[in-house]
Amino acid sequence: MKNSTKILDEDRRSFIKKVLKGTIAGSLLLVIPAGGNALEDIPAQIPGIRDKEWDMSKKRFAFIVDITRCIGCGSCCVADKREYNVPDHNYRTWVERYLKDFDDNIYVDCPNGGLDGYQKPREDLDVPIRDTFFVPKLCNMCKDAPCTQVCPVGATFTTPDGFVIVDSKRCVGCGYCIQACPYSVRFLNPVTKTAEKCTWCYHRVRKGMLPACVNVCPTGARKFGDLNDKESEVSKILSGPGVITVLKKEMGTDPSLYYIGARREVI
Amino acid sequence: MHTPHNAHVKRLLAALIILFVIGFFAKQAFQPKSFGKYGHYRADAIMEEANRPMRLMTNPSCVKCHPYEAGHQMTGLHKTISCEFCHGAYADHIKDGKKIGTLPVKRNAEITTLCLRCHNRAIEARPKQVIKTVVMPDHLRAQKVDEKHSCNQCHYVHAPLKYINHSKKIMGLI
Repeated sequence: MKNSTKILDEDRRSFIKKVLKGTIAGSLLLVIPAGGNALEDIPAQIPGIRDKEWDMSKKRFAFIVDITRCIGCGSCCVADKREYNVPDHNYRTWVERYLKDFDDNIYVDCPNGGLDGYQKPREDLDVPIRDTFFVPKLCNMCKDAPCTQVCPVGATFTTPDGFVIVDSKRCVGCGYCIQACPYSVRFLNPVTKTAEKCTWCYHRVRKGMLPACVNVCPTGARKFGDLNDKESEVSKILSGPGVITVLKKEMGTDPSLYYIGARREVI
Repeated sequence: MHTPHNAHVKRLLAALIILFVIGFFAKQAFQPKSFGKYGHYRADAIMEEANRPMRLMTNPSCVKCHPYEAGHQMTGLHKTISCEFCHGAYADHIKDGKKIGTLPVKRNAEITTLCLRCHNRAIEARPKQVIKTVVMPDHLRAQKVDEKHSCNQCHYVHAPLKYINHSKKIMGLI
């Protein structure tokens, strides 16, 4: 009898000990962060960038928008807003809807930058429409960028790897670059009061990831890659046949953003 | 009082030297260190932009914790759709490997709105080879279901035709 209670007591003690250990370990697991960069577990989308010394001059990135594949879902706009927490009514990228009637008149609309998608056809037009298409717009990453030339404080510039970015610590918010951009991709951030623009997700590209809008595009209408890598999709498209255009060529800005299937009316 | 005839030149030179010295030190004090390394801008700004944290972490990051949904998603017709498009940004859900918030799940009418962002044939410029589109509510009528039905009552959103094709197979329709 005595012996059995002793065993029972010991059992109870070890049981309580085990429960306590489990509780402490479990709660510690919740409190202490698992650590490590979540990025390490995610496969790189652009080969040969991650964990390599970045050579500024060895990259030549290009962006291709395939208008024939764009369905105007607006996922790129949503992704862009989420990636940068862009304030409402400002857009780093947006999707325009073009309608062309039989007299070649062009009607363009872009409700909320395409952020809510296009749920309804245009009802305010009485004319028969012969052509409808969506045109995603973003920074053209001009090789001869007008916006960087006009900045009085050196806050916007072209990096040696070809990205036009804004140094928000130096920007004084004069808005000169917003006036200078022929593609209207710049805006004054109402929160920080500095100029902001699409950067082709420079921070993602440097980590070997595709820009947020390219990653979410369900139809592959947006393509991004390095032209110096002969195996990349963009260099294959740009070195192959097919009509490839840039916006406002006559401005002499030499954009790195190319369009497939853009009608001549697209500006 | 007699002044030498070149005194004004000396004064001017002294003023210029003082200005130069002030300018030199002002430049030292106010110009950022890395300014001018590559061009007329702060070279450190490049790394600052490159170190901006990512908020959307792509589908493989979701698969790790949600293998069931992802298993359907990655093998079904919706495999090109990003999880974060419908559910929200990874950064609003996970921080430093810990859950910090719940991402919303769309329900009922919201789902139909979401589906029709892409699958609405009323919007032209959606070529057949790119996407399958439907006319609403004609599609519901053709399938002989209630017109108030939302898409997910027949289609499993992560793999829209998986169960439909499966049941058709059982019925011997395909």
